[in-house]
Amino acid sequence: MFSTSCKEDPPVEPESTTGKIHFDFDFMVDGNSLQYDTLMYTNEAGNEYMIYEVQYFISNVTIYKGSTAKVLKGWEKEHYVDSEIPTTLSWDVYDDIEQGSYDSISFTFGFIDADNQSFMFVNPPESNMVWPEENGGGYHYMKINGKWKVGSVLRGYAFHLGRGQVYDANHNPISFIDNSFRVSIPNSDFSVSKGKYTKMTLRMNVEEWFKNPQIYDHNVWGGDIMENQAAMEIAAKNGWNVFELVK
Amino acid sequence: MKNRKIFSVAAWLLVIILMVTLSCKKDPVPNPEPGPKPATPYKFVVPPGFPTDLNIPEDNPLTVEGVKLGRYLFYDGRLSGRDDPDSLMSCATCHLQSQAFEIGKNHPKFPDGHPYGLTGIKTPHYPLPLFNLIWNNEGYLWNGMIYKGNTHLGYPAYGVPAEEPYNMTNIESLVWMGIIAPHEIHGSIDGTVNMIRSIDIYPPMFEAAFGTKEINYDRISKALAQFIRTIISYNSKFDRVLRGEDNYTQSERNGLVLFTTEAGADCFHCHGAPGNPLMTTNLFYNNAKDTVFNDPRDRYGVTKDSRDHGAYKATTLRNIELTGPYMHDGRFKTLDEVIDFYSEGLVYSDYVHPLMHKVFPPYGHGANLSPVQKADLKAFLLTLTDPVLLTDPKYSNPF
Repeated sequence: MFSTSCKEDPPVEPESTTGKIHFDFDFMVDGNSLQYDTLMYTNEAGNEYMIYEVQYFISNVTIYKGSTAKVLKGWEKEHYVDSEIPTTLSWDVYDDIEQGSYDSISFTFGFIDADNQSFMFVNPPESNMVWPEENGGGYHYMKINGKWKVGSVLRGYAFHLGRGQVYDANHNPISFIDNSFRVSIPNSDFSVSKGKYTKMTLRMNVEEWFKNPQIYDHNVWGGDIMENQAAMEIAAKNGWNVFELVK
Repeated sequence: MKNRKIFSVAAWLLVIILMVTLSCKKDPVPNPEPGPKPATPYKFVVPPGFPTDLNIPEDNPLTVEGVKLGRYLFYDGRLSGRDDPDSLMSCATCHLQSQAFEIGKNHPKFPDGHPYGLTGIKTPHYPLPLFNLIWNNEGYLWNGMIYKGNTHLGYPAYGVPAEEPYNMTNIESLVWMGIIAPHEIHGSIDGTVNMIRSIDIYPPMFEAAFGTKEINYDRISKALAQFIRTIISYNSKFDRVLRGEDNYTQSERNGLVLFTTEAGADCFHCHGAPGNPLMTTNLFYNNAKDTVFNDPRDRYGVTKDSRDHGAYKATTLRNIELTGPYMHDGRFKTLDEVIDFYSEGLVYSDYVHPLMHKVFPPYGHGANLSPVQKADLKAFLLTLTDPVLLTDPKYSNPF
């Protein structure tokens, strides 16, 4: 009586039927792990190239089960991935996921315009992804920085993707283009067990950016493409099958 | 008999109720012994748009008393451990408020902008300004050798034991390094501590900041770091325009466009933009200055990563008007020289950062700016000067 007299009755909670999802992120080129700063790759256009670093956002990750879809946005509806920052290469998704089997996963590469608001990130590294107001504002969807070989020397390329611009005859921007795109990952079925983490790896196959359906040639597009909608349009079109899910 | 039984049961019930009731009462708390008065938390207000992720170690929170003590130490030349007039040196010897806490032009002691220590040895690199360091989580100094997670301790060859608090992790670490560095104080930690102990004003200030009058190296470094963390720049014209309180001239506006476009000068990838008002990423880049890299103090010297040969911190461009000479080796004396360099002076090497993509055609060796564009870019850069920082009494010499 003495020991139990002060305890409150525990609230009756229904048994949890949910689990969690954990994503890891990695990078491959031509079927092997990305080796940075090494001139060892040749893209579909024949450019010999290397990669310095890769940084990108995904947002509105959605899981599908039959006719229902759930957007994972319990805490943050975007995730920043940076090849140079190990903590960004894993993500414990905040949302509780009902146990069971799911059919597939999709996400937005970058941000749709409505979500791509200038000044929404104040802290680095995300704030370092700022996309200038003159170019449409918001944030880079992606930066791949690297070099390709031209003759006997290396030229730097900033393969950056974000809002595009439409210019008037005097090269003043008159409107902007949402270059984000939806990625539906093939073979992305998975299951969630109650009380457990389901771990998956979202893999970027870097060579695909330069390959399919359009061949991207660094010699044609040069070192910078932020103000070149034609180049960014190719990148956006090629991004559809850059990713795979490793379970 | 029946009544006695009823009384007995009632008495037992009363005892039980009393025990149950009393068992729920907390033990009375004894009056605590009067202890040192805790220091007052310093209210650091993050300006709108600035990072909320502050580099404040858990074991050194900002306090009003700690910041005040740090300000005194910052300006007290006896931090050198000596008190003869020719041997005084403190942070403020090189980091002048009027020059955005940099050497600046026409320094009375270092007119060429290149400081030297008490024994005449020049610093290996030119200094960096001491403001907005509270927002630097990427490593301090030109090569970022002071960083969170660094496990290096001490410097036994110079009498600094390989133990805490002689770490290389944060602003606090710069104090012991400055005391022993041949190109700075070139002294000893004991010498500095003993000197500060001998000055009457300090014991009460240490007591106010840390609870007792004890003066040791750990407390000296913590107080200095606290003060330095409070030095922030956020009141330039650039800031006022962002806050809607001012407007750019047409030339400044043109300069901003050049600053933030790849077809222009493409400064923003490394040096920030309105969306990154620090005006730096605080990261490290080889910015195409050289073809040979043999400085053991470059970023490669810290990381041994091949991408870091010849790489140095992208400095903040806030107050850039005042913080020359420029680059880690002070090779450019004026802002015009810097703009000329980025316009037509870049040189090729295999180690140039990819973001320096203007090393090659169609841009030639740089952004190829016209004279008008150079003037516009400079006009924008001058909007980054913060007059409040330069005169704010709370950062000034208290002596």
